[in-house]
Amino acid sequence: MNIADSTGRQLPATIPDYLTQLRAALEGADPAMVQDALYDAEEYLRAELAAQPGRSEADVIADVASSYGAPEEVADIYRETEVTVNRALRTPKTALGVRAAPVHAGGSRSDASAAIPMASSSGAGLPDPPLPPAHRSPASRFFGVVVDPHTYGALFYMLLSLATGTFFFSWVVTGLSLSLGLLVLIIGIPVAVLFFGSIRGLSLLEGRLVEALLGERMPRRPRYSEQGRSWLQRIGDMFTDGRTWLTLLYFVLMLPLGIVYFTVAVTLLSLSLAAIWAPVAALFSLSVPSIYIDGSNVLPVAATPILAVLGVLLLFATLHLARGVGRLHGLLAKHLLVRL
Amino acid sequence: MVDEDVQLKKFQKELSAGTVSLALLAVLARARQPLYGYLIAKELEQVGEGVLSGKQSALYPVLRNLEAAGLLESHVEPSSSGPPRRYYRINARGRTVLDQWIRAWRATRDSVDSVLEDVPK
Repeated sequence: MNIADSTGRQLPATIPDYLTQLRAALEGADPAMVQDALYDAEEYLRAELAAQPGRSEADVIADVASSYGAPEEVADIYRETEVTVNRALRTPKTALGVRAAPVHAGGSRSDASAAIPMASSSGAGLPDPPLPPAHRSPASRFFGVVVDPHTYGALFYMLLSLATGTFFFSWVVTGLSLSLGLLVLIIGIPVAVLFFGSIRGLSLLEGRLVEALLGERMPRRPRYSEQGRSWLQRIGDMFTDGRTWLTLLYFVLMLPLGIVYFTVAVTLLSLSLAAIWAPVAALFSLSVPSIYIDGSNVLPVAATPILAVLGVLLLFATLHLARGVGRLHGLLAKHLLVRL
Repeated sequence: MVDEDVQLKKFQKELSAGTVSLALLAVLARARQPLYGYLIAKELEQVGEGVLSGKQSALYPVLRNLEAAGLLESHVEPSSSGPPRRYYRINARGRTVLDQWIRAWRATRDSVDSVLEDVPK
């Protein structure tokens, strides 16, 4: 098999080159998937190189192109697998749950020797979920939010973000001020290094949380700096990497955002639930539900059913708001935590 | 013919969808210690024929899916040669599922074989 022909371009001679080509071939794909693909490829390439001492990097990569796949083939495989997996794992769509499936950039494989993509998932045998009806009435779009699982994930995230936001903020502020304050003593340096190291772990954790609750694809593997650098250089990389600082910014932002999310969610939820139960309260309790304006009650008992209807509408509006906040926050997290 | 190649590739792709998961589970069930992606790929390479001889990069996403489905467990260990490796190990649920898959596979294989026997060459 002529490898150079099968890929249609020159094979890379070093591992960083291979990874660069793979990244280029995955251009436009989900950044989180790119991070996973690069991680997997690097693990394989380094292991192969270590298993064959004495051979040059270029020779090893030439072999790898036929076993692991050339960068373009690997990119195609990851793109396809992501589509298959999404189809197998996706919950049946509601009209609202139009989560963009990754664009399938197939058709680039025309040669006969290319990969047999072992695209598969544990659920690949499942039949495809039925396609959603093309058109839904505005009413069913409005009320359909109630069956979208991401709505509740987002709502839960809004409530949880007060706790996580407080924690992240305190961690960053404590870590930064401790490192800076102790920098005059020598002990500030290891404290700073440990603190910046912890940021990557926390970033991955928050990413998992965002993916589970908000449905935004986030990295499943931590990011690694270039190999072959001394540990001093790697520590230096942590400080010069723009993503470290963006992550810090995100964590600081999480406190105000968390407070706003929590307050909005709790206020709207309790307001709508109280309104919905107003007629029941009017029936069974002595204290008549009332709305006071200038000291006089403007709500006759007969009007409580209208209040209940308004409460239902407000509840659904709240669910929409939660989903919207979830999407926006997912985008924010992706931009600040997974910059490429 | 080009068209036949396309047909063959499509068939191999469909065929591989479940068999790769089965083969990965089996490799991990045979192994005495946890294995990382590269070792699993090499293990399959030794026996790989047909759809199992495809590109090994496709194994990694499948491993992740099996883990997400709760059939495998994994942990990360640092390595001297590169980025830390993720070691996979089959768990009890994975073994149960594998048993069922093996039975389904054998039944399918036998019946397909018996159908194919009478096909004139």
